[in-house]
Amino acid sequence: MISIATPVIRVNAVSRWFGSVVAVSDVTFDIGPGITGLLGPNGAGKTTLLRMMTGLADTSTGSVTMFGEPVRDNPPLYKRIGVMSEHETVYGFMSGRDFVRTMARLRGVTDLEKAVDRAIGLVDLADAQHRQMDTYSRGMRQRIRLAGTLVHDPEVLILDEPLNGADPRQRVHFKRLLLQLAAEGRTIVLSSHILEEVEEVAETVLLIVNGKLAASGGFRAIRAALNQRPYHVRVMCDAPRTLAAAVVGLPGVDAVHVDPDGAVVVLSRNVLDLQLELPRLAQLDGISLRRVEPLDDSLESVFGYLVER
Amino acid sequence: MGIVYRLTLRQLSGRWRLVIMTLLAAMPVVIAVLMLRSASAPSVQQFETAIVSAMLAGSIAPLIVLAIAAPAFGNEVEDKTLANLVLSPIARSQIALPKLLAAITIAAPFIVASAFATSYVAFLGDTTATIAVTVAAVIGVAMYASAFVWLGLVSTQAIGVGLLYIVLWEGLFSGYVSGVRLLSIRHYSIALMHGLDERRFAFSNHLNFPATLIIAALVVVGSAFLSVRRLRSMDVP
Repeated sequence: MISIATPVIRVNAVSRWFGSVVAVSDVTFDIGPGITGLLGPNGAGKTTLLRMMTGLADTSTGSVTMFGEPVRDNPPLYKRIGVMSEHETVYGFMSGRDFVRTMARLRGVTDLEKAVDRAIGLVDLADAQHRQMDTYSRGMRQRIRLAGTLVHDPEVLILDEPLNGADPRQRVHFKRLLLQLAAEGRTIVLSSHILEEVEEVAETVLLIVNGKLAASGGFRAIRAALNQRPYHVRVMCDAPRTLAAAVVGLPGVDAVHVDPDGAVVVLSRNVLDLQLELPRLAQLDGISLRRVEPLDDSLESVFGYLVER
Repeated sequence: MGIVYRLTLRQLSGRWRLVIMTLLAAMPVVIAVLMLRSASAPSVQQFETAIVSAMLAGSIAPLIVLAIAAPAFGNEVEDKTLANLVLSPIARSQIALPKLLAAITIAAPFIVASAFATSYVAFLGDTTATIAVTVAAVIGVAMYASAFVWLGLVSTQAIGVGLLYIVLWEGLFSGYVSGVRLLSIRHYSIALMHGLDERRFAFSNHLNFPATLIIAALVVVGSAFLSVRRLRSMDVP
């Protein structure tokens, strides 16, 4: 559990269930200024947790506070919070600028046009701001929604899968923007199911699996834990038994077996070493490698490993 | 508050919706003209029962208001844009009330035009009767709108539930079960119309006029209160 002396967001023993389905189970953590990544596979409970953190959904038990105040049914608090939900729907009949202006009015921004210009500039969408939003690409819709989230200059940003639909250039721009906003002292919660997406910007990570907080802390510690986990690697080649005999002697290899379809499945605790050694062994024994693929590199298996530890 | 009102006006004034509303609103006028031109023109009582009470107050007005008021929140819940409003630092009443006001703003002109034209034609230019029907129709719009705005927040099938309410409760049961009239927006509207022009509608048994005015106010305020409360307690998608 992360405990911060003066947390901006405090999630205390929060659970949420829908009928007999437990979406979030007894989760406790504190979040302070900087970027915190909320990671977890699809369906892990991230969005439900974020919805409770923003006051959009109620908790079944437990409490969520922000700046020491309850988030639920506390509209004045939204002057200090910017939330970008996972839903990509926009008011298609509006231009991008109209949308950001509407969000600014709703959030009580006083210097309206200046704030709108600033927000649109931040997401680099000035050229398309007067186009109707139903002509926008998915990435553009995400950016204009982010502008609507930033327009009132909030101290806390909660972003649910904000990089969905963004192209590589937009991703780079977005990550730079997040780092800039965090450097200004904001508290940013960034949710994603893609490890690398969060790794590049987040200082702290919360791993949610099956509605529970599986791990939390600095990214390096989490990464180190991930690197120690055993990987299954499947190798297709023209001499599976010869390759299996050669691979079994490698350091870090826990098990090797040959599938009925002729594939060699290696369980290794040092996948980096295996990657380097496989071609060398194949060349040495005159084996032709056809395919090398990780069997359990999905986030589900990564998180599953962390939960079981 | 003004921004929610203007936003809702834009959301609810889609071209096709307005075209269908215009056609619906024109129906009682057309039928009234046809009835008057037929060889056996109906009496005022027959006309009032068939066109004003059954068709205008019992079908056309609630259908138009349902099609406009239920999506005021219903569409935002469905396309998940309600969070844009709820995540703003404004009281929930400042979201629900402008939505209700916008629904009334769009629905009322159709109903007013329809009620005015129908009664003016049918009552041969009797201004008092025409005003009575029109004013009662406007109050009816406010009652239906507040109920249907709330319905859009509590049900994802608001249009279907609203249609069942109009057909079964307002159309069928309130026509045959006299007690249901005490809980019928259609009959509140009719009672108001009768109360506003007792000379023209003297033949009718209706609810007490002052009591109906109070009930109408209670329906509007009560439904608006329920909408605000629902908005505060619901999980917003």
